[in-house]
Amino acid sequence: MEKNFLKMTRLVQFLETLRLFGELHAPTISESGVYRFSPLDDPAELRLDYHRTQIPPKKYLLPFREEILHNATGSYREGHSGAKDLVLFGVHSCDLEGIAYLDRVFLADAADPGYSARRSRLTLVGVSCEPDDFCFCPEERESTACDLFLGASGEGFHLACHSARGRAVVSAADHLLEQGPPLPPPRFSGPCFPPQDPELRFSDHPLWQKFASTCVSCGACSVCCPTCYCFDVREYPTLSGGAARIREWDNCLFVTHGEVAGANFRPDRLDRLRFRFLHKYCGFTPLQGISSCVGCGRCKEVCPVDIDLRELTVTPKRVQP
Amino acid sequence: MNQQPHSQHVPFAAHLIERRDLSEDTALFRIAPDEGALAQLFSFVPGQFVQLSVPGAGEIPISPADLPTPEGTLELCVRRVGHVTELLHELQPGATLGLRGPFGSGFPLKEMAGRPVLLLAGGLGIAPLRSLLMHLLRQRDSYGDITLMYGAKQPRLMLFREELAALAAAGGLRLYLTVDFAPETLDGGYSCAVGLLPDLLKGFRFDAATTYAAVCGPPPLYRCLVADLERAGVHAERILLSLERRMRCGIGRCCHCALGQKLCCLDGPVFRASDLKGIPEAL
Repeated sequence: MEKNFLKMTRLVQFLETLRLFGELHAPTISESGVYRFSPLDDPAELRLDYHRTQIPPKKYLLPFREEILHNATGSYREGHSGAKDLVLFGVHSCDLEGIAYLDRVFLADAADPGYSARRSRLTLVGVSCEPDDFCFCPEERESTACDLFLGASGEGFHLACHSARGRAVVSAADHLLEQGPPLPPPRFSGPCFPPQDPELRFSDHPLWQKFASTCVSCGACSVCCPTCYCFDVREYPTLSGGAARIREWDNCLFVTHGEVAGANFRPDRLDRLRFRFLHKYCGFTPLQGISSCVGCGRCKEVCPVDIDLRELTVTPKRVQP
Repeated sequence: MNQQPHSQHVPFAAHLIERRDLSEDTALFRIAPDEGALAQLFSFVPGQFVQLSVPGAGEIPISPADLPTPEGTLELCVRRVGHVTELLHELQPGATLGLRGPFGSGFPLKEMAGRPVLLLAGGLGIAPLRSLLMHLLRQRDSYGDITLMYGAKQPRLMLFREELAALAAAGGLRLYLTVDFAPETLDGGYSCAVGLLPDLLKGFRFDAATTYAAVCGPPPLYRCLVADLERAGVHAERILLSLERRMRCGIGRCCHCALGQKLCCLDGPVFRASDLKGIPEAL
C-alpha cells in the first residue's frame, strides 16, 4: 500500500515541504475580512474554511495589468513575464477547472508568452470544499486539473497525484504520510454548467428585460470570474523615450467594450448581457460549444442587483395574464 | 497559422518610406517591413489585416491597400481618427513602426476565379477593397467583369480618384463613383453621380446568379447593401463583407471583436453574408 494520507496534525510540516517547490501562496483573510490568495508567511494565517476568494487565482497567470512589450531602441521586445516558482495551495475544484479553461485559451496555438512562462512554474495543490448557497456545483467534485489534490477525509486528507510534479511533492513529503483508510470512490471532475443553445440569448424570457433594466454595468461578475479573460491593450511612452505596451483586464459589461471608431456594437446593457451569456455558456471560436462556468458562485455572490444569468436557461413559469 | 509563435506576439520593425495625402484626413503610408515580417507578408491575401504599431501610441488593425510589392513595401491607407492614427500622421519618413500579421481570412480568391466581381466601397472602405481590386486587375484574365462602385461623402473626400479613373480608362474595370452631396462651389468638376451607393446599385444590370459582391464601408451601409444585393439575386454566400472591429490582439484572445460566437480576427474580417445570418450585432 502506498502512503497517501496526510494527518491534519502534519499539515504545517507539509506546507513547509511545499516551500521547496516555490513561493507558497494560499487562502487567507485580509484585515477587511476579504478572502484572498496571498503569500503564506505564517501557516497560522491559512484559512482552509473559506468558501471562495474574492479574486480567483487567475490573477497569478493573468495579472490585472502587465507589460507585454517594451520598446527602448526602436524595436519591440517581450516584456518581463515575472514568472517565478509558485505553489498555490488550497485551491478548490471550481478554480482548478477555471485554470484548465484558461489553459485552453492561452496555451493553444501561438501560446501566450507571459501566461505560459508563469503557468509552467506554477504548482497547483487542490483541496476539497464545503459548498455554500452560492455554489453552482451539481455534485461534490474533485478536480484532476492540478498537480496534487487533498481530499478531506476523517482526521486528514487523502492525497491524489495528477502530474509528475505532484508525485515529486508526495515523495518529498513521504516522511509525513501514512497509509490511510481506503480511498473514497472517485468524484466528478470537469466544468459544471452545461453548454447552452446560443439562440437562448434572443429568447423572450422576461428575465432578459429585468436583468437589462437592473444591471448597473459594474462589471464585478467579470472581474471575479475565474474564466473571464477579456483584455485591453494600451501603449504608453516612457520617460526614457521608449514605449511600454500594457495588457490589462477588460470587462464586457463596460460600454467601451464594443466600441470601434465611430460606432459601438454593444451600446445597451441588454446587448452586453447577451454577449456575456454567449461567451460564458456557449463559447467563442475556437472554444465554441464549451461552457466556461465552473460553478464557483462568485458572480452570484458579488452582483449588487442579484443577477444570475443561469436563470435564463430555465423555462419561465407561465404567468397568468 | 504556420507562423513562428513569437512573431504573432512581438511586432517586427518596419520603416516609413513615404506618405501621400489622399484627402484632408487620410493618407497612404508606404512602409518597408523587416525581412522577418516580409517573409510572412508574402502570404497576404486581400482582405486580411495586419497590426500596425506606432511606438508610444499603440497598435491598430489595418487591412493593407495593396499586396506587398516585389521590392518588399506595403501600402496602408489610414484616416486620422484616433489616438494611434493621430501620431502616425505626424511621423516623418524614416520613422520606425512595428508590424504583426497578416491575420484573419481574406477574400476566397480561388472560388471567385472566372466569376464577375462587384466591389462596393463606402468611404474608407475603399482601402481594403483596393487590395482586392489590384489583385483582380493584375490577374485580369482569371476573372469575369470587374465593377467598382465607390461612394464618398463629398468629391474632395474621394480617395484614389485619379488612380481609379486611370485604371478604368485602361479598360478592364467598370467604375461608378457617387457622392452623398456635391457642394455648389465644386472646383475642377469631376464626373460622378450624386446620391447614395444603394441608389447606384439599383440601376445596375449584372449577372446576379454568378457575381461575387465584395462590400466594405461604414456599418449602416452593410445593412442596406446586403438586402439590396439579395433582392437583386446575389446569393448570400457570394456576398462578401469586410467588417471592422477593435481587434486588440489579432489572434483570438482579447474578445473585443466577437460577433455572435465568431471572432472577427480569426473567422473574419471577411465574412460571407450567409455566415452572419442570426447574428444581429454583426452588421
